[in-house]
Amino acid sequence: MRNKVYSIERKKARWGWFFVVPALVFFALFSLYPMLNALWNTFHNVKLLSNRKPEFVGFRNYAYVLSSPEFWNSMKATVIFTLMSFIPLSVFSFLFGLVMATRKTGTKIMQLIIYSPAILSSVVAALIWLILFDPRGLANSAVNFLMQTPGIDHKWLTKASMLYMSTAIIYFWKYIGYFSIIILTGIAKIPESIMEAATTDGANARQTVCHIIMPLLKPTTAMVSIVAMLNCMKSFSTQYLFTQRGAPNAPLNVLTLNIYQTAMRDRNISRACVMSFVLFIIMMVLTVIRMKVSERKH
Amino acid sequence: MKRICALILIAAITVSAVFAGGASESESTDLSAPVTLTIWTHEDPNRSVFEKELIEEFMAENPNVTVDYQTYPSGKMAELLTVAFSAGEGPDIFNQSQSVIRQFVEEGLVSALDPSWIGEESIDDVYARYIPGALEAVTLDGELHGLPLEYTNLAIYVNKNVFRDAGLDPETDYPKTWEELMDVSEKLVQREGEIITRRGFDFRYSTYYLMEMLPMVEQMGGKLVSDDGKTAVIGDEAWLKFFNYMKEWGPNGRNLGSPTYVGVSSIMNNNDNQLAMAMSGLYQEARIRANNPEYYESGEWMVIPFPQWEDAVENVTCHVSCHYYMVNGSISEAKQIWAWRLIDFMLSHSEGYLEKCSLVQPTYALFESELFKSMPYSEVFKNDLEHATLTYYSANSNAIRDKMKQAVEAVMLENRDPNEVLADFRRQVQDLIDDQNF
Repeated sequence: MRNKVYSIERKKARWGWFFVVPALVFFALFSLYPMLNALWNTFHNVKLLSNRKPEFVGFRNYAYVLSSPEFWNSMKATVIFTLMSFIPLSVFSFLFGLVMATRKTGTKIMQLIIYSPAILSSVVAALIWLILFDPRGLANSAVNFLMQTPGIDHKWLTKASMLYMSTAIIYFWKYIGYFSIIILTGIAKIPESIMEAATTDGANARQTVCHIIMPLLKPTTAMVSIVAMLNCMKSFSTQYLFTQRGAPNAPLNVLTLNIYQTAMRDRNISRACVMSFVLFIIMMVLTVIRMKVSERKH
Repeated sequence: MKRICALILIAAITVSAVFAGGASESESTDLSAPVTLTIWTHEDPNRSVFEKELIEEFMAENPNVTVDYQTYPSGKMAELLTVAFSAGEGPDIFNQSQSVIRQFVEEGLVSALDPSWIGEESIDDVYARYIPGALEAVTLDGELHGLPLEYTNLAIYVNKNVFRDAGLDPETDYPKTWEELMDVSEKLVQREGEIITRRGFDFRYSTYYLMEMLPMVEQMGGKLVSDDGKTAVIGDEAWLKFFNYMKEWGPNGRNLGSPTYVGVSSIMNNNDNQLAMAMSGLYQEARIRANNPEYYESGEWMVIPFPQWEDAVENVTCHVSCHYYMVNGSISEAKQIWAWRLIDFMLSHSEGYLEKCSLVQPTYALFESELFKSMPYSEVFKNDLEHATLTYYSANSNAIRDKMKQAVEAVMLENRDPNEVLADFRRQVQDLIDDQNF
């Protein structure tokens, strides 16, 4: 009898491997190998288009990158953009999800409106907003109308502080729908019986949100905040297109843009890989911290 | 016995012909086998039509050759080529400007021309076709790696209507110096509050920083890189004067233009009161004629020379951007030979390029042709060319151009102190030069 169980389990395990191996091979080929290759590159002098054999240079690439003012400017630009995008995204996706979950009418229309920017490519979204942020565009006119300041150029595409804001606005506009729908799905998963019990016990709307929905939604909000944060740190196309249209580089030179320029323009693959690794480590550390904080609260 | 001796002799001759070092490459290469050549070139509607006609003609004359002609946005070409060649998948023929191709030449990725492939006796015969300096960006260790497709310098196109609208006489009030350019632009510009609705003049920005702005520094005696190629940014006074001028030009100064406004190249043909002056090459004439024939025929436009500073110490005009056709060095020899022959065939129609695309090839024959002389304002471009040199090129020239772009944007848009910007710029360019030598 024990032998039979053992063989059934082995059979199950074999089938398990059968299903898992393709994914493992795929991961090893397209994720693990490039990552290990990138790590190898960081210790060598690898340049695009060069026929010379890469030389081992030890930590020289790390020393160069970590002492470069441009790298630290990129870190600053990444942190500012991430904070300006990720915090509003986390807060408003929760609020919008809540509003959509509790409204009786117009929910579908609201979902459609709020989600539609997410289906646009980032390039198209950035191009639309570049037109809006032009000095003669809608954004400038709207602000001038509201503030009664005709003829003022608010420098959406030239002033550093406005550039942080305009890129964050684009990101927020594009992704708020996506994260709101995830929150909405999370709320919908809360058992109806718990909500009914709260109502029966006389909980008002604020109490239901604070003591029922928010605690039960923690895994979803943790996931949303982690994904939003990681996506913000990887943002590239908006900043890239802005710089292509003449906006100053320094406030927009987020790490991903710096990596791209170092690899494709300067053809210095090794230094680009160093920056990629630094970004990877930062993202991993922040994710672990966020998960730990979430677990502790739970 | 005689037959045996004859056979041995034939065999010996055959073997020596195959292995002889002195034999011409084409003699031992099968040029009758079918070949397909892939061309990657940047988008240019007029040129694409013309080149496709030439390719059809070439294929009719050489039935074993098929050509796959592909066009890409000009801003994407450098990146596409870098990726393709890094993966060993580069096209057989491609064209790029001197700023991009130098790295391909220095890394040995492109084919060196054997003059016999295109029916010339020596490489000097090929050089003799072109004006001095035109081939220097594709020459390395005495070998030639490309032939020039277009040789472009920029001058200023003036819309006479806008001048008259501002109460100026375009024939006499056009600017000759950078100082006048700023003052005249101030008279021509129209704004709603701080927002510009009509620009007097504006720069091309984009990828033109080394081409249109570096001469401004050089006119004052400054240099991007020292003559020995080891030291970055020479002549602080010249650089500071340039940075201060650009700061004054931008939204934090006299607010005459900015790289964030719509690019001048897309509106200069319109004649719709948005722009009075902009820089462009002779090719712009074909674009005006194609996009706005009424304006082209009206005579309400003219071309004026590249400005100088009032106290310029060097007569430097706009640098020349030269696009070269090159051949992938890793393809078979037969393909290389056919590729060079196709390039040579296309480029031998220099008058056609000028007539149909307004592209100038730097050949003596073209500059002396009646067609060139008959083109409106061609003498303005030719006179400027006498004081022009190729736009700066090196294996890192694209990166250096971007550093200059960032420096100009920093003073113009971020309102940073030119002294600080100059120090940063020098450090970054020096870094790139050192890295190149590393």
